[in-house]
Amino acid sequence: MSVETAVDPAAPTVRTRERRQRSWRRSLVGAAALASALIIWEIAAYAVGDPVTMPTVQETARELLHYLTKPYPQVQGKTLVDDALISTARILAGFGLGTAAGLLLGAAMAGIRVVRELADPIIGVMRPLPPIAFIPLLVVWFGIGEASKVALIFFGVLPVVTIATLGALDAVPDELSHASRSLGASPFHTMLHVRLRAAVPGVITGMRIAMGGAWTSIIAAEMIAATGGVGFLILQAGNYLQTPLIFSGIAVIAVLGFVFDGLLRLLLRAADPTARR
Amino acid sequence: MSATVEDPPVTDRPAAVRLRDVGKTFRRRRRETTALEGVTLDIAAGEFLCLVGPSGCGKSTLLSILAGFTPADTGEVLVDGRPVEGPGPERGVLFQTPTLFPWLTTRQNVLYGPRARHALTPEVREEATALLETVGLADFADAYPHELSGGMRHRAAFARVLINHPQVLLMDEPFGALDAITRAGMQRFLLELWQRQRTTIVFVTHDVEEATLLGDRVSVLSGRPGRTKAVVDIDLPRPRTYEDTETLAFVTAKRRIREVLEQ
Ligand SMILES: Nc1ncnc2c1ncn2[C@@H]1O[C@H](COP(=O)(O)OP(=O)(O)OP(=O)(O)O)[C@@H](O)[C@H]1O
Ligand SMILES: [Mg+2]
Repeated sequence: MSVETAVDPAAPTVRTRERRQRSWRRSLVGAAALASALIIWEIAAYAVGDPVTMPTVQETARELLHYLTKPYPQVQGKTLVDDALISTARILAGFGLGTAAGLLLGAAMAGIRVVRELADPIIGVMRPLPPIAFIPLLVVWFGIGEASKVALIFFGVLPVVTIATLGALDAVPDELSHASRSLGASPFHTMLHVRLRAAVPGVITGMRIAMGGAWTSIIAAEMIAATGGVGFLILQAGNYLQTPLIFSGIAVIAVLGFVFDGLLRLLLRAADPTARR
Repeated sequence: MSATVEDPPVTDRPAAVRLRDVGKTFRRRRRETTALEGVTLDIAAGEFLCLVGPSGCGKSTLLSILAGFTPADTGEVLVDGRPVEGPGPERGVLFQTPTLFPWLTTRQNVLYGPRARHALTPEVREEATALLETVGLADFADAYPHELSGGMRHRAAFARVLINHPQVLLMDEPFGALDAITRAGMQRFLLELWQRQRTTIVFVTHDVEEATLLGDRVSVLSGRPGRTKAVVDIDLPRPRTYEDTETLAFVTAKRRIREVLEQ
């Protein structure tokens, strides 16, 4: 050995064990935090003493379980599971298309000067607009069916992912590409395995932000113009003062949002070793 | 010990690296910066050449021209008799900050070159293991760059270049950011490596002592625009070790370079 090193053969295993312990601890703390939030809710419900204003946790849970498989409203209504599936399908379609288009547009802007100069001002104007401002317009164009919902999410996700992709690609240091080329990789290989690869964590972070916005848009759209979906259910429940069901709907959104963000976080961890803490 | 050569000797003997009247001007927003002007230099095969000069005189620019990252505006740049037209694995580059791919482990980083060139054989994998051993990273083969110390990252970047068996090593202040002890370790490692393999090395440094310790010759560039001011021969015996830095001959050689620099 030519270079002196303080090599500790146990180091990697110690690191993994520490990491596992930390992640256990974090899960426990998270569960404790959620449990205490439920306890505060329960105390508040008893203090208020009026189930229409503030139902208890058990009432909400009972209602949630009941309507998981029973339609609401009884005529023309859907079960909570169906509504959740409808909203999820809209999110997935709009988010998938919006992400794909944002990736392409962002990459094109990073690579082709004309595209960047053309798209920059449009994105700049579009981004600060709240997507829900377009709901009436999209209903006029596409009706109250699926197309208007998917279009809404698409136009909400597109600018966020585009900017994230562009930013991430711009931030890849030239030296990384240079290193790749001087190690013998072709320009194409370098583009694919270094430039695009290095941008992946930034793109996923953009996708997580876009996912949050997508839920906001879809719930609003389902409240304004729809015949199904969690947002529609919450609005109906509100109209009939079914507060436990409102809470149930919100809980479903929370769970779905958490699951989707969790999936994206897993993706980020897979793509970015520095995110594995 | 030979005297300072005011004009770099221009011979026709085969040189690993041959620079003739190399010039480079950067144009940016109506501002022109002439980084290099009329740089002429021959580097023999197997030679260890150090490049010193004031900050901003174009050392990095010259190295990136040799690496093929930026084209020269004027002049001739030949490596092993062929004009440089772009980057290639026969010219290994080590940057001031190690540019490891953060999403790859140390071993995957080392294997990046062979894999990209579709030359990943079991022998190459074995060689990677041996190289990681040599640079003292055997136990960190599966660690990611952010889990390595600064010095370890340098050694990983080194192994990643060495697996390509480059004919020329281009090094841009590779140890500049290291602490004194790690730096001495890296210098010793580089000297041993060069002693064994006799790769042609172009080594940019700010540090006159480092240049004297490592180089066969030290090429001194003038302030911007950079041109070869002088090439100083270092006739200290090989193999050299860090202890040599205290000998009188070493101190004299060092002073000579400093004099040329300050002229
Ligand atoms: N891409 C670029 N665009 C414009 N000017 C540049 C560029 N690269 C380098 N320069 C200019 O060229 C000159 C030489 O730069 P270079 O980085 O080669 O210097 P250097 O000798 O390596 O300096 P240092 O010792 O500080 O690293 C500087 O004046 C710098 O401003
Ligand atoms: Mg430099």
